[in-house]
Amino acid sequence: MASCTAFHLLLLPFLLLTIQSPTNANLEGDALYALRRAVKDPGHVLQSWDPTLTDPCTWFHVTCDGDNRVTRLDLGNAKLSGSLVPELGKLVRLQYLELYMNELMGPVPKELGNLKSLVSLDLYLNNLTGTIPASLSKLSNLKFLRLNGNRLTGRIPRELTKLESLKILDVSNNDLCGTIPTSGSFSKFTEESFLNNSRLEGPELMGFVRYNAAGRCK
Amino acid sequence: MSVYFRSSGVFELGLAGILLVTILLICTTEGLNSDGQHLLELKNGLHDEFNHLQNWKSTDQTPCSWTGVNCTSDYEPVVWSLDLSSMNLSGTLSPSIGGLVNLRYFDLSYNEIKGDIPKEIGNCSLLQYFCLNDNQLSGEIPAELGKLSFLERLNICNNQISGSLPEELGRLSSLVEFVAYTNRLTGPLPRSIKNLKNLKTIRAGQNQISGSIPAEISGCRSLKLLGLAQNKIGGELPKELGDAWELNRIDFMGEPDLGFLKKLYLYRNGLNGTIPREIGNLSMATEIDFSENFLTGEIPTEFSKIKGLRLLYIFQNQLTGVIPNELSILRNMIKLDLSINYLTGPIPFGFQYLTEMVQLQLFGNSLSGGIPQGLGLYSKLWVVDFSDNNLTGRIPPHLCRHSNLILLNLDSNRLYGNIPTGVLNCQTLVQLRLVGNKFTGGFPSELCKLVNLSAIELNQNRFTGPVPPEIGNCRRLQRLHIANNYFTSELPKELGNLSQLVTFNASSNLLTGKIPPEVVNCKMLQRLDLSHNSFSDALPDELGTLLQLELLRLSENNLSGNIPLALGNLSHLTELQMGGNSFSGRIPPTLGLLSSLQIAMNLSYNNLTGSIPPELGNLNLLEFLLLNNNHLTGDIPKTFENLSSLLGCNFSYNDLTGSLPSVSLFQNMAISSFLGNKGLCGGPLGDCSGDPSSDPQKNTDAPRGRIITIVASVVGGVSLILIIVILYLMRRPTETASAIHEKENPYSESDIYFPLKDGFTFQDLVLATNNFHDSYAVGRGACGTVYKAVMRSGKTIAVKKLASDREGSGIENSFQAEILTLGKIRHRNIVKLYGFCYHEGSNLLLYEYMARGSLGELLHGPSYQGGDLVTWARHYVRDHSLTIGILDDRLDLEDQSTIAHMISVLKIALLCTSMSPLDRPSMREVVLMLIESNEREGNLTLSSTYDFPLKDDISRK
Repeated sequence: MASCTAFHLLLLPFLLLTIQSPTNANLEGDALYALRRAVKDPGHVLQSWDPTLTDPCTWFHVTCDGDNRVTRLDLGNAKLSGSLVPELGKLVRLQYLELYMNELMGPVPKELGNLKSLVSLDLYLNNLTGTIPASLSKLSNLKFLRLNGNRLTGRIPRELTKLESLKILDVSNNDLCGTIPTSGSFSKFTEESFLNNSRLEGPELMGFVRYNAAGRCK
Repeated sequence: MSVYFRSSGVFELGLAGILLVTILLICTTEGLNSDGQHLLELKNGLHDEFNHLQNWKSTDQTPCSWTGVNCTSDYEPVVWSLDLSSMNLSGTLSPSIGGLVNLRYFDLSYNEIKGDIPKEIGNCSLLQYFCLNDNQLSGEIPAELGKLSFLERLNICNNQISGSLPEELGRLSSLVEFVAYTNRLTGPLPRSIKNLKNLKTIRAGQNQISGSIPAEISGCRSLKLLGLAQNKIGGELPKELGDAWELNRIDFMGEPDLGFLKKLYLYRNGLNGTIPREIGNLSMATEIDFSENFLTGEIPTEFSKIKGLRLLYIFQNQLTGVIPNELSILRNMIKLDLSINYLTGPIPFGFQYLTEMVQLQLFGNSLSGGIPQGLGLYSKLWVVDFSDNNLTGRIPPHLCRHSNLILLNLDSNRLYGNIPTGVLNCQTLVQLRLVGNKFTGGFPSELCKLVNLSAIELNQNRFTGPVPPEIGNCRRLQRLHIANNYFTSELPKELGNLSQLVTFNASSNLLTGKIPPEVVNCKMLQRLDLSHNSFSDALPDELGTLLQLELLRLSENNLSGNIPLALGNLSHLTELQMGGNSFSGRIPPTLGLLSSLQIAMNLSYNNLTGSIPPELGNLNLLEFLLLNNNHLTGDIPKTFENLSSLLGCNFSYNDLTGSLPSVSLFQNMAISSFLGNKGLCGGPLGDCSGDPSSDPQKNTDAPRGRIITIVASVVGGVSLILIIVILYLMRRPTETASAIHEKENPYSESDIYFPLKDGFTFQDLVLATNNFHDSYAVGRGACGTVYKAVMRSGKTIAVKKLASDREGSGIENSFQAEILTLGKIRHRNIVKLYGFCYHEGSNLLLYEYMARGSLGELLHGPSYQGGDLVTWARHYVRDHSLTIGILDDRLDLEDQSTIAHMISVLKIALLCTSMSPLDRPSMREVVLMLIESNEREGNLTLSSTYDFPLKDDISRK
């Protein structure tokens, strides 16, 4: 009993190093403005996004930290259509990218893998297509990855199993194929995370299903 | 070639007469001259959606009447101009363009042409004007372009052209204008650029041009505009940008090389080094933008020699020193931005006399001293931003004297005094930002006469008195931030007139009374923060009609009454802070409708009663849920198992009973989250044996006992882990751990769990162990007996049967705890939990089988060199001290850092197995030592806090 409870305490220590980087407020404003240009905004939720301001911190639905760097983008359920832009990858202090329940189309930009501070990536319930970028495996702080309810295709990148902080994964209701990785952080996810992907095959087991078997991924 | 001959021959015949009418009739389709043929080929490559080119017909003899085509008026007309701009053409540009050898003017801009620029363009040797801008062209710039020695204007901007600029560009000796911005060009600028003596304009911004700016650029002696912003240009600014003036007098005896340069745009590159003093020789310059680079050193005073300078942007570099006073003589300066550098010293006094100054931005430096008080007297200031400096003194009174000021940002300085009337009456003002100073006085009600004002930000100052009713006149106001001041009294009901208000932050003031119900008329509100005041009374019910609200903070007030049911309508709410009030009644179940709630729901420290509504379990994005210090009763709803995003929660100090939700989140939550309740149990609170409600006293005392148990477990546990680790490091250094692929099994109350496709039943286990016969037992522990089971598949596993003869459900708890913990841990040195099995009261844990026997035997059995391992290790250390001799000599001793790390871990392990519990370090200390040892990469000295008690230990023995 004693040994049983002690095990997980060893996993606790984390050293968080924050490195001060020069202000890039303009760059971040430009990145967000690129998003504004790429989406249709019938509800005018992005009306306050004025690219001539020195930083985007006064823009609505944007939250900044003390250095005027963007940490949150709250645009869930905002009736946005259009596509995501690679420029979003420049928001390196972004922790929350909340774009769920919109009508966004097109691919998930691989540049989102540069958002090294990201804690939550919520793109669920949109019309996104293409594959899940393997670059997301660089998001070492990612806790929540919700991509469910889109039209994503291809395999689940095995690299995502490296996401040690990942607490929630939801890729259900897409059109993914291949097998479900079970190693690394994926060992804690139940089949619920992967439901309703008709071409996705059961959990991969060591020595049973070859991961790279073509399966129904052709 | 034959086609060419035949068609031109026919053309001549056609002119000659009518003798060969029949032949002509046959050949009319081929009667078009060669230019026409080439154009038709060009048309073939294009998709002409709107039929702009419908009159391009092969039946014509010449193309001279076709749309976009112009011919010479010679006897034999040839095409000299082709203008196809803005015709919605798509498709590709055919190589046949090279056949139009007389072409001088070619414009294909603003279409949707894809593909490469054909290298055949090099055959159009008379071409002077070539515009392909605003298409979707890709590929590289063909080197053949260099053959166009008459080319004066080349525009390829806004395409997707890649590759580097060819060296051959240097042969375009007539080139006047080169526009290539917004492409994907790479590589350095060609050095041959120096040959372009007529070049006036280079615009190649927004590419990925690299390298440094070649000193040869000074050869471009006609250059007026150099635009290379937003590239990857590194290196230093070449002195030759300016000092060519001196060279030039000798070399060319004419005008200085770049002396005519008027506009120099190099922002957003990787430039480093200092700004050369020779910059002052760009005597004709009007606009210089070096912003967003890595320039260091001081701002050269030589800028002051550029008398015509109107725009100087050097923001976001790493410049140091003071702002040179000499800049004050730049009478024509309109826009000056030196923000985000490391500049010190005062703002030059002379800036106030720069009559043309419109935009003055110096924010994000360490400027000190006062702001020149005459600023604004002589110039029509439009934007003034001095925020984030160390400025002192007062706001200059005349900033808005010429009624042009739209933005005044003085955030984060040490300014004091009142806001001068000159600013308060500034009709043009749109944003006033004074956050983080020492300003005093009452709320400046004059501000509310300013019809354009959209932002008032006065946070963190020393303003006093009430917020006046006049605030209601600020009809355009979107942001009102008055937090962290000393504002008193009630908020005026006129706040409700602010129909455009989006964020209102009045936290940390001395505000009292009721929150005015009229605030619900501010329908655009997204953020409302009234926390840390003394607001009292009930919340207006209609708060639930502020449908745009994303953030609602009301914590730390004296608010009372019920939480309005209608708050559940706030479907965009991400954060709800209501803690530290006197809210009473039940938690409305409607709060479960807050589907966007993510940051926190904090209802702690109120007088809430009743049970926790199960509907809150719908908040699947919620990360922090604080319900502590209320009078909540009943249990924590089972639906809380669905709070999948929860990172933290606190239910402590309520009157809650029952078991914690069985998901790992609650089972692993710190015990402090549940303290002070009537009868919570499960997880860290221990088992739920007995009827908790019948004996509440016993259960409230339970936590302390549990803490002691846990601490003891931790100390014991860590010893075991460390020794496992060390054993592996010492004994099995070459064995590579295979990747772990098992899937954790979700816990529920049914029969058997094992990774899918390999499932076997309880009966299989019974068979494999002969109904758990003693002969199959390989070890016994505190928790139960371990059996070796060879399954039908040939796989050997270890089955741990938890002792089932004890009373109560305690076993089930330890069973669950072990599953939940081990199931999550995947480490090569920790035994893998394959699965578990629950069958009619029997609890089985299925592990990887370790052929080398049990840990206890290895540690304390006589199997290791005549004694138990711990004793052996202690003796060795006593005799030889802790040296690498203790390590197995089969180790690869070349890797010094690994060895050093192993020794330091061994040292920790010996500490952990000290005889006296007092000598054993706490879990926290162990973790710290492990971190420390990892950081040091083999430095053996542990900090003195953890002195090695080995000697005492042995002597005691």
